[in-house]
Order: sequence, then C-alpha cells, then structure tokens
Amino acid sequence: MTSKANILVVDDEPQIADMISSALQLYGYAVQTAMDGEQGVAKVGANKYDLAIMDIQMPGMDGITALGEMKKVDPEIEVIIATGHGTMGTAIESLRKGAFDYLHKPFEIKELLKVVERALEKRKFNDITRAIFSTVKPEEQLRVIIDSVTRILKAEESLLVLPGRDGKLYIAVSDGLEDPGAAASRLEMCSRLMGAPVETAKSAVLSENPAGDKRFAGVSGLGDLKSSLFLPLREDNKPVGLIVISRLEDETYFTEDDMQRARIFASLVSLALRNSSLYRQLQETQGQLIQAEKMSALGQLAGGLAHEINNPLSGILGLTQLVMENTDKAGQNYADLKDIEKAVFRCKKIIVSLLSFSRQEKTHLEPVNLNEAVEETLTLCARQMELQHIKINRQLAPGLPMVNADFQQLMQVFLNLFTNARDAMPDGGELTISTALDGNGGRPAVVAEVSDTGGGISPEIAGRLFDPFFTTKAVGKGTGLGLSVCLGIINRHNGGIKVSNRPGGGSAFTINLPAL
Amino acid sequence: MSKKVLIADDEELVRNYVRRALAGRGWEVTEAANGTQALELAGSCGLDALVCDLKMPDMRGEEVIKRVRQACPAMKIIAITGSVSDIRAPLAPGVQADGFLIKPFGIDEIRDLLEKLTKT
Repeated sequence: MTSKANILVVDDEPQIADMISSALQLYGYAVQTAMDGEQGVAKVGANKYDLAIMDIQMPGMDGITALGEMKKVDPEIEVIIATGHGTMGTAIESLRKGAFDYLHKPFEIKELLKVVERALEKRKFNDITRAIFSTVKPEEQLRVIIDSVTRILKAEESLLVLPGRDGKLYIAVSDGLEDPGAAASRLEMCSRLMGAPVETAKSAVLSENPAGDKRFAGVSGLGDLKSSLFLPLREDNKPVGLIVISRLEDETYFTEDDMQRARIFASLVSLALRNSSLYRQLQETQGQLIQAEKMSALGQLAGGLAHEINNPLSGILGLTQLVMENTDKAGQNYADLKDIEKAVFRCKKIIVSLLSFSRQEKTHLEPVNLNEAVEETLTLCARQMELQHIKINRQLAPGLPMVNADFQQLMQVFLNLFTNARDAMPDGGELTISTALDGNGGRPAVVAEVSDTGGGISPEIAGRLFDPFFTTKAVGKGTGLGLSVCLGIINRHNGGIKVSNRPGGGSAFTINLPAL
Repeated sequence: MSKKVLIADDEELVRNYVRRALAGRGWEVTEAANGTQALELAGSCGLDALVCDLKMPDMRGEEVIKRVRQACPAMKIIAITGSVSDIRAPLAPGVQADGFLIKPFGIDEIRDLLEKLTKT
C-alpha cells in the first residue's frame, strides 16, 4: 500500500520520536526519524519528505536553525515545530522562518494528526499551484486543476463546463466522467443554473441528491449523483462557465471546508482561463510577427531580384522588337517574335507586382469610410463581374464609424479580394460584400466580409494562403503575392484578416479594422 | 544634320539595342560603359541628348546627370533604371532629368521620348 505521505520526525528523545512515528504509521504515513538538527537536515537533503515534525530544543543544532537549513535544502517541505518550553517568542520566530505551525508539548495525538493533515493539505495545494503554473499550455493547466479537484474534494467526477462559440455549453475538461450518456444530463443541469441569475451570482451552489432537486426537475440521468457542487466562474462579474464536482458513491455531503477548497479551485480556474486567452493572443501576435518578418525578408530579396532581372529583360524586349522590324509580318518568325515580346510584358507585370510587394510604402492614414472604399473598388470591377456572370450582393451597414486607414491601400486590398473571388467562380456565381460594426469584446472594430460561391478553400492550403508567392492559379494568371500584400496592408492598419469556408460552399475573407 | 546622343549604361545588352533603335532613326549614337566615360564624352556639351542609367559601377547616374546638367543646360537628359525604388531619383534637386524610363522598355518608348524632347 502506498503511504499517504513521507514524514520525518526529528527529536532527541527517542521515546517521544517513537511515540509520534508509531501514531503516524498507524494512520498510514511513512515515517523516518532523526536524532538531532544536523541529522534531520542531512536526511532532508538525501530523501524527499512532505513534512517534518521537529523538536525545538535539541543538543547541537536547535530546531529553529534546523528549520531554516531544511527550507534551504528543500523549499517545498512543510515543518511543524514541537516544543515543551514554547514561549510565544519562539513560536513566532519559527513561523517567521517558515514553519507551518507549532505544537505545545505535551500534545494529544488527535491534535497532532489534525495539524499534520492541514500541513499536508497546504502542500498539496502548493504542489497543484506549482503544477498549474509550471505548464504554459492552458489546456494542460485546466486538466491539472480538474484532476486535482476530484482528488482533493474526494469526489468521483469533476467537469469544467464552458460556452462554445455557438453559445451552447460543452464540457471543456472532465475527470471521472466515463459514461458519455451522462454528459448530456450534466450539461442540462448546468444550463438550468446558468439560466438562473440568482444561482450564478452565488460563489457556490450545492445540490444534495440532484435527481430530487426541483431546480433540475425533468432532467433525466441524474440518478447516479449523490451530491453535486457547482462553482460559477466569472469574468468581469459575468458568468462564463461552471465547475461541477460530484460524489457518486460517497454518502457524505460536501462540508463547508470542501466548499472553501472548491472556491480556491474556482479562482485558480478563472486565472488559468485568463492565462489561456492571453496565451492565445501571444501566439497570434507571434504568428503575425513571424509572417511580417518573412514578408520583409522576401520583399527585400524580391526587390533586389527584380532589379537584376530588369536589365536582361530590357535587352530581350529591345532586341526582339528590333528583329521584328526587319521581319516579314506575315511569316511564322514574326509571330514567334511577337510571342517573345508578349512573354516579356508578362514578366514585366510580375515584376511590377513583386516590387509593389517589396516596397515598404509609407501608409497615409486618415479617417476613412470603409463602405466608400468598398463602393469605389466595386465601381472598378463591376463590368468584369458582369462579363463573368457574377452577381454583386451588397450588404453594407449604414452609419458605421470611420476607420483610420489609407484609402488607396484599402482599395488595393478589396480589389485583390474581389479578383480572387472572381477567379474562384469561373462559371459565374455571387459575390457578397457585407460590412458591420463588431462591438463585442475589446475595442470596437469595423468588419468587412467578402465571400464567394466558388469552390472554397481546402484545409491543406488554408495555412499557406497568406504566404508570399503561394498561388493556386494557373501559370501566368497570378503572382501569389496578392494576399500577402493584403495581409501586409491590414497589419500596417493594426487590423486583422482571416479566411473561412462558408457553410453553403465558397470562401469568406474577413477584415477587421479598429473603429475610430 | 543628325542629332547626337550618348547612351551610358554598364549593361552592354541595353546599350546594344538602344544604339540600334536610335541609329535606325537617324541618331548618331555614342556609348559609355560607366560614369567616368559618360562624363568625358558628354562634358564638352557636343551632344543633343544623354540617356543615362542610374546604377553604374563607378558612380551613381544622378551624379553624372547633375554635373552634365550644370555644364550643359541645353542638353536633354533621360534617366533609365531597372529599379522602381529609384522612382524619385531623377526628380531630386539638381538632377531634374527631362525624362525617365523604367526597364524593361521597348524601342518605340525610347525613340518617342527622345524625339519628343529634342523636337524644336
């Protein structure tokens, strides 16, 4: 059998040391003894103990000094000081040196066990807190917390329930929930509680025998629950989720102590959730930085390359045209030369877009009406769309706040998105442009969505879409720079651009820009 | 009497076709492969026009243009370059080229521009 904890008893009187260790062993602890301070410190250095119980007055190194030494060797060890001559002074000194508590000799075994249990519980909390914050991955943090909740509260089942993007509750992390069918009943309980403002305003909600609880009337599948404890999680005083801790077999209900421990966990979960969102933001920012770096390096390369290519290209163009002047316009040679000339113009076009990509253009920011930028761009390509049987569907929200932007560059972005949409619908379709104000969460943003009814974007290419030179278009049809230029422009505007597939087919590009 | 033009570019391929394009239209063309040669040939002001690349191994084209412009105010000058980042260079104070072409440019582009500039 594994013992509950490893305890070191340090006392110069063997009878007392024996008495304490046999009492603790009886209660399932593994105990070792040391005869004095030096020996005690040496043992802490050699073995891992959860707790030390130490006499204060010993020959050689006294208990207070030994306490300090032990904490140096193992900062996590908890120490209980025992003394027969305890004055308030030494007691306070021992606490200041980091003792968990002190006991006056003679003490009863019951008293000792209580202090030992509390000290070990504190250790457990410390261990959990360390475990939680030793991992940077938020999902792992939540898992550690939920697993610990089950253990510490002697429960059989713990769940973290959060609302998904669609607003529906789901089980983010669970421990001990084996029957998948039970999940539905648990979620139903949670949505009842989340729907009742009175309940989520409390710091903890206890339900003894949930199956007979009128708050959960009509919810089936609660028969296996003896008692459940619900901890609402709040952010900015708004309920954002629940922790549900249930006992299935243990008949004893949750005590006030359990509730107290549970509340500590709830605050840890809130902290972990907050970390998780910060972590995500950090990752996103990192991703953007890497992308920006990639673009700038490639941009410089592209700029230098373009220059090198332009000289020989100029030669090819000029010489071809010179030969053409002396060639019979009706012959095959002339047609071939004409093709060479065309090829050069194609190269020139590619290089111009390369250069516009590499140019670190100064962005001229002014208050801009996003709808106007959309409309002006549409004017430019309306005719093209018509020719390709593409219907333009405008859903522009009136009265939007202005955005701080470079009008020309915004037009460039929209032109790019419209052109891509057009190319995605060679047999015609519908181009939808919608604008809206997004006031939810954080700074208000003006959002524009450009969607098409084309083939959509496969998951394999979604990740590379904004990479410079990535293109799915036929050779000569695209440079693969359009979207990376868009990304660069939107980044310079402190905005964001993302892509998704529409449920009914086709893709949707969403741009958001901070509202003024 | 035929008009005289100097083409200054370190790229032989470019000098080659520009020379032939202009010679075919009656221009008397001389060539310079770097900035120093260009200054030697243009400094006496015996030319009607100078076509000058901006990026040459020994000196920037702007410098060549600036000095020629000072010595020979009547000479028409066209700056040529393969780099769009040079787009403002020909307009810099003291440079003030009369024309500007970005490579690759065709034979008619250089012919038309020169003829327009030197028409009296």
